[in-house]
Amino acid sequence: MEPALETIGLVKRFGGLLATNDVSLKVDRGEIRGLIGPNGAGKTTLVNLVTGVHPADAGEVTLGGQSLRGRGMHEIARLGLVRSFQVTRLFGSMTVRENLMTSFLARRDRASGDGTEQTESMIALTRLGPLADTQAKKLSGGQRALLQMACGFMVPGTCYVLDEPFAGINPVIKDAIIDMILDVNRRHGATFLVVSHEMAIVRRLCRQVTVMMEGRVAAQGTLDEVARLPEVIAGYLGKAME
Amino acid sequence: MFSTELVVQTFISGIMIGVLYALMALGITFIYSIMRMINWAMGEFYMIGSYLQYALVAFLLGPDLWWLAIPLSAAGVFVLGLFVQWGLLKPILRKPPEVRDDYATVVTLALLLLLRSLATGLAGPNQFSPGSDLPVVMVGPMPMAGARVAAFVFALAALALFYLLLRYSWYGLALRATSQSRVGVQTAGIDVLGVDRVAFGIGVALAGLAGALLAPVFLVYPTNGLITTVKGFEIVVIGGLGSIPGALIAGVLLGLIESFGAAFIDSAYQNIYGFALVLLILVLRPTGLFGERAREA
Repeated sequence: MEPALETIGLVKRFGGLLATNDVSLKVDRGEIRGLIGPNGAGKTTLVNLVTGVHPADAGEVTLGGQSLRGRGMHEIARLGLVRSFQVTRLFGSMTVRENLMTSFLARRDRASGDGTEQTESMIALTRLGPLADTQAKKLSGGQRALLQMACGFMVPGTCYVLDEPFAGINPVIKDAIIDMILDVNRRHGATFLVVSHEMAIVRRLCRQVTVMMEGRVAAQGTLDEVARLPEVIAGYLGKAME
Repeated sequence: MFSTELVVQTFISGIMIGVLYALMALGITFIYSIMRMINWAMGEFYMIGSYLQYALVAFLLGPDLWWLAIPLSAAGVFVLGLFVQWGLLKPILRKPPEVRDDYATVVTLALLLLLRSLATGLAGPNQFSPGSDLPVVMVGPMPMAGARVAAFVFALAALALFYLLLRYSWYGLALRATSQSRVGVQTAGIDVLGVDRVAFGIGVALAGLAGALLAPVFLVYPTNGLITTVKGFEIVVIGGLGSIPGALIAGVLLGLIESFGAAFIDSAYQNIYGFALVLLILVLRPTGLFGERAREA
């Protein structure tokens, strides 16, 4: 079976910095893959290449076997590849409800109705009911992360790329986001690539993790396997051990 | 001393012209809020709107159908706006989202010169007037030129239509979201350059509409957009760049200030009073009445 998401030899250079260097990885359908690595390893760059924010200097991304070369961010989103940002990109002066509707409007199809039903179910799922008509900029950091996640789930995607969805969020909301990911994964068989520094959550969600270091894929396996590898330990702690 | 009647008259005429100014300013601020770009050629779209109105009335529809010529002129400017965005602005804005879009604003400067020269080349440096056979209308205690009253009514209708589109349609939702986060809408699957195209069309159509409406009052000639553009930018500074309520309120405010200044100080300096207000605002509240210091995600 072809992988849900595949990158083949992705290279991206920013001036003299090689942000990703020949990154190839495959994520199977329905898998929740963790992407870990120290700061500056190229994780966010990889996410940006996959979702069309930056064009790659070399290499290719395929979604369900279909090449994404030359496609813009919005086309990729419409193909069912949905992302979240480390710094939430919500529509600050619009209400929670309007934010959800905006995520619905371009990806809706004939069968999905006018979006009211989906909006209400997302509001119920995130327990943002009392804040449904509050402007997004007035929400707390955690609530914004939750809303961003809910926006991504308004129209079920086939593949989600989540960049640090748990950073700086209180434990209750972390659990809510984990539940949403597991729910969408189970019900729609959606594939996830989750960038995170939270090892406890990565262990809970992901059977397999990919480790990136200095722009390369350094290792792949279960979290416990990769955590034992000397090069991974060295990468996280710096090279002082050598 | 000043009679109540004069105050009321001044007030009414200030409001009536203020709404037209607001139309112009709304176009500027709307395009900015969506595309993050100042369109310096706004006055030229006003000018084209006035020429279209003149041409339609003089050669095609006749003076009786002036009211039909007005939406047609605005629609013509809208379509022109679509082509300008498609041909001149989109190729520049089609870049990774972090790249600044200063070049697009420079293109509009070039467009300003091109369109103005084109008007002079095609129709000469002459002044045209589409004429108006509208009778003088009594507005309250005051007789007003029919063309001015009609312009006011049309402008109000256009503002209402604009509000309804923005508030209650899918496209309005996309437009409002784009003004908040250009990256966010693309993540939601919205084609941001397609939104730009419609936004630019609507923005310049507002200017074109003002041009068509004011053609009988301020006449039709190649640089007739200059004064209204300057006023549009005054309003945008007063109201706050990117703020739609700011454009509306500041537009009416500018109309009132000019009107009262002309009636009670000296009508020779009518165009100066707005600048005094701009200076005052810049000192007291540099972001404008409704402007935001910085945008947030």
